[in-house]
Amino acid sequence: MKVLVPYIKKYRWDVIWSILAIFVVAFATLWQPHLLQVIMNAIMKNDKQTVWTNGLYLIGLAIIGIVGGIINTIYSARVALGVATDLRADEYAKIQSLAYADIEKFSSSNLVVRMTNDINQVQQIVMGFFQQVTRIPILFIGAVILAIVTLPELWWVIAVMMALLLGVSLFSFSRMGKYFGRMQQLIEKVNTLARENLMGMRVVKSFVQGANQTKNFAESSDEMRDVSVKIGNLFALLMPAFFLIANLAIALSIWLIGQNITSHPSNLAAITSFINYLMQILFAIINESFMLTFASRALVSLRRIHEVMATKPSMTFVSGPHRDLDGAVEFDDVTFTYPGDDKPTIRDIGFAVKPGEMIGIVGATGSGKTTLAQLIPRLFDPDTGIVKVGGHDVRAVTEADLRQTVGFVLQRSTLFSGTIAENLQQGHPNADLASMKWAAQIAQSAEFIERLPHTYHAEVEERSSNFSGGQKQRLSITRGVIGQPKILILDDATSALDARSEKLVQEALAHELKNTTTIIIAEKISSIIKADRILVLDDGRLVGSGTHLELVRHNDVYREIYATQKALEEGV
Amino acid sequence: MKDLKNAGKFYAHYLRPYWLEFLITTILIAISTWAIAVAPTYMGRAIEELTVYVQQWANPATRAQASFTAFNHTLAIFVLLYLIDASSILISSLLLSKVSGYSTGTMRVGLFRKMQRMKVQYFDSHSDGDILSRFTSDLDNIFNAMNQALIEIFLSGAQFIGIIWMMFTQNATLAWITMASTPVAIGLAAFVMHQASVSVDRQQDDIGRLNGYINEQITGQKMLITNGLQQESVAGFQTYNAAVRKSNLRGQIWSGILNPLLMGLSLLNTAIVIFAGSWLALNGSLSQGAALALVVVFVNYAQQYYQPIVQLTSLFNMIQLAITGARRITEVREQPDEVDPKNGRTLDGLKHELVIDNVHFSYVPGKEILHGVTIHVEKGEMVALVGPTGSGKTTVMNLMNRFYDVDSGSITFDGVDVRDFKLASLRQNVGIVLQDPQLFSGTIRDNIRFGDPEADQNRVEAAAKQANIHDFIMSLPDGYDTFVSDEQSVFSAGQKQLMSIARTILTDPRLLILDEATSNVDTVTEAKIQAAMDNVIQGRTSFVIAHRLKTILNADKIVVLRDGKIIEEGNHEQLLAQNGFYAELYHNQMVFE
Repeated sequence: MKVLVPYIKKYRWDVIWSILAIFVVAFATLWQPHLLQVIMNAIMKNDKQTVWTNGLYLIGLAIIGIVGGIINTIYSARVALGVATDLRADEYAKIQSLAYADIEKFSSSNLVVRMTNDINQVQQIVMGFFQQVTRIPILFIGAVILAIVTLPELWWVIAVMMALLLGVSLFSFSRMGKYFGRMQQLIEKVNTLARENLMGMRVVKSFVQGANQTKNFAESSDEMRDVSVKIGNLFALLMPAFFLIANLAIALSIWLIGQNITSHPSNLAAITSFINYLMQILFAIINESFMLTFASRALVSLRRIHEVMATKPSMTFVSGPHRDLDGAVEFDDVTFTYPGDDKPTIRDIGFAVKPGEMIGIVGATGSGKTTLAQLIPRLFDPDTGIVKVGGHDVRAVTEADLRQTVGFVLQRSTLFSGTIAENLQQGHPNADLASMKWAAQIAQSAEFIERLPHTYHAEVEERSSNFSGGQKQRLSITRGVIGQPKILILDDATSALDARSEKLVQEALAHELKNTTTIIIAEKISSIIKADRILVLDDGRLVGSGTHLELVRHNDVYREIYATQKALEEGV
Repeated sequence: MKDLKNAGKFYAHYLRPYWLEFLITTILIAISTWAIAVAPTYMGRAIEELTVYVQQWANPATRAQASFTAFNHTLAIFVLLYLIDASSILISSLLLSKVSGYSTGTMRVGLFRKMQRMKVQYFDSHSDGDILSRFTSDLDNIFNAMNQALIEIFLSGAQFIGIIWMMFTQNATLAWITMASTPVAIGLAAFVMHQASVSVDRQQDDIGRLNGYINEQITGQKMLITNGLQQESVAGFQTYNAAVRKSNLRGQIWSGILNPLLMGLSLLNTAIVIFAGSWLALNGSLSQGAALALVVVFVNYAQQYYQPIVQLTSLFNMIQLAITGARRITEVREQPDEVDPKNGRTLDGLKHELVIDNVHFSYVPGKEILHGVTIHVEKGEMVALVGPTGSGKTTVMNLMNRFYDVDSGSITFDGVDVRDFKLASLRQNVGIVLQDPQLFSGTIRDNIRFGDPEADQNRVEAAAKQANIHDFIMSLPDGYDTFVSDEQSVFSAGQKQLMSIARTILTDPRLLILDEATSNVDTVTEAKIQAAMDNVIQGRTSFVIAHRLKTILNADKIVVLRDGKIIEEGNHEQLLAQNGFYAELYHNQMVFE
């Protein structure tokens, strides 16, 4: 809850208006019985004048109530949305300040949920708080006090009633808690079954297993149904029990008053209002328990948001003046373990690359190629050892310098919705048309971009679904080279390109970016066959380094990979 | 309105079996409404009797007669009435809880069963998330509405009718006056709710855009970090966030206003009733005492009169979601089922040949994918399909075990059209290994014997051995009992693929269709999978959809598809000699020194 205080403070005037309005509404509600009393008396005295004036007061009061309610709603909504919007903006900024490892730890889909559903929960509870919660305690406390003032000797009836109400709620909710846990498991199970069958529909159909799967599903679904009925039954108990308790308390009060009526005849007149107060206490408790279940969900959300906000970035960059770095890359005995893993993914890696070299990295899936490459732009820091760029430990380089020096084209090309130009400018903020064209020529994307109706201003749809896999990769490469980085890493970035385009890209890179160090990670040996040097990874270790011919001759791991890709006919 | 009618049909269908429960609930609620309506009069009588007692007691002459008997008796009836009320409500709530649990259970299983019967086309043309949300959020919404709204509708309905009835028995004029403002209230409520739903729609659009942005950016976080774009990303976020704030504010205000508005109207109505009542009292024909009593009673009614309306409007959102849910589930229920021929023939292996004869096919009418494809496959042959993405390779596979049916032309097993076989029999004969090896949560054993849950350990192991995965399974601490879940799997893509091959081997299909894995598998792993596939292919007629040519060099026949037409056909050497499309593909993929 503390998280919210500074956010709410920012809207203190809206808060004040909203609370003032709720007081006006409460006043209108409380004053109305009094006016009624006056009118009744006036009718008995045949006093037309008083009836009319107080009748008009009553109408005025109703209108004040409506206006107060509307004002309260408007200002509550302003507070709720202000808080939600600011909280969301801060959370987003916080996420953007985190290191990649921190984001991985949360997982991106989980972060999206925290930014959307959780914030929405908080918004609802803030809205509810200023519309409802402030009013209920006032009414509750007021009703208890007035009830005791009315018939002080019956204080224990109120106490017993409240204890019983509490007991019933505790009984139901504690029993429910047990079932809710089981329910959650069953929901997950049922959803998993549905999802699996959905994704594997072709498998289920081709193995003719529809009937069996339905039987499995029905078993879980039936159990879910039974648990949900049990929960429903506990809920069903609540309302009748509440009202029964309250009404028994009323009957008991009347009976008790009857026993002493001869010594306290005035109690007769007090009974009606006492009963009214008992009912008000009941309603306050019902409303409050609804608000509490609601609030408990919001508290879970708030805790999840707080977790994000409280995360300290696990990686920080030094600040300092701009330095020009060259394209040298060096790994000095580097070992790296992913957060949460017990085994290092790469270990004891050491090599050095001179500016302008072209390096290939090969190895089986899971051998650590991408992991190694990710240490260069400092997506992660190694456990031990040093990664150097331009001769400096990456941990001693400013973020701006590192981003300017290292270009990284990802395995899964990520384009954002917007125009092609906007996407390319992500690689170089002020890129003009000329430099876009230059980069597109290198990446072999110019040919299809310039055929689009809006060329560089063509729209990229969500998930870039209007481009083919090969086109996406070529656009990513364009974005990667447009900033003319000193070091360009292509992480399996040409897998969807045909051999001819791939060759053209590599030739253009060699020609246009002579001084750029190129590091190419590839599944296909044909992609890196011309590299100055090829690094062979196996199970996280560097097991070979050399040109294609050297490796074919001396390296078993490389030879095995090569054997699976070699043409039958040598040199056709 | 159409939605409402369809939703009515939908719920009528699922709720009909529970007519007895509904009948009992209706009766019980009527009883409880009666009890609640009558109980206050007993309270009044008890107080009256107490007054009489006090008066008799105060007078020495009658003190001896003063007795609590009548008072106690009345109070007992009062308690009894509330016991009746509480137990009626309890029983009807229990009944309705059962009804909502059971009817949504039936919907859920029915939806699943329907899913198993539907054409593959539906799954290909709808996103998984969309279909899945019908199981999750739509059924959830329906359940919530049934669970919470059903009893409220009953109670509020009964209360509403009860109040009107009580009012008319007391005084018709005042009853009409109390009800006079109803159209205004309902009109105002409808207006506000309409405004709210319009703003909520707009708000949902803005929220959708914001969520889309967040999702896209955070999913692409690696790219943002490596390009140093975090600040720009935050700047872009502000625009979407501000738009949501603006439209959300409208939505929140309109939907928040309804309750205070109706409460205020109820108060206003009370004032009107007081005016009218006191006018009657002062100018009317009634005696002052009777008029006063009427005013008191009607002030109570006027305050209660709006309660059911307020209750029902607060359920409005819930009910609307339930209506939408009904529509979305009905959409699925109305999808056509797969066509299983009546008196279909049983397929018992392939004796001579499989013929794909001049097949034309389109997924979307007017957009033909296959333009007259003809392939002959002799028994025992291995045929490879090769071609670029979108050439129609996978489509050919889809037709053989009738995931889809041809537009024209035919596919025949020994001269019999596939559409004349029983669907189950056809599919039992045609085994497929898919690109994406979908496994199911359960043990490894369960997964391997997926196609035949009765298979014993020997058969499971034999299949695993043929698929070259037995040794790996035995190296796991739990062996064949190791739990597989597709979500967070400890198995690599290659291992999963091998398990899916074992799964197919176990069913011993006559005809095999192998769709090769394209990605996530390096070429060394691929060679291992290839070895397992070779084991399966032996002695069987098979189709291989190849993405990497290395695996099909030994095929009896290679068919090259491009844009839905066969452009080349022959074995590896022949095609290489033609120096056409296949030869180019081959040069692209292979390494030549």
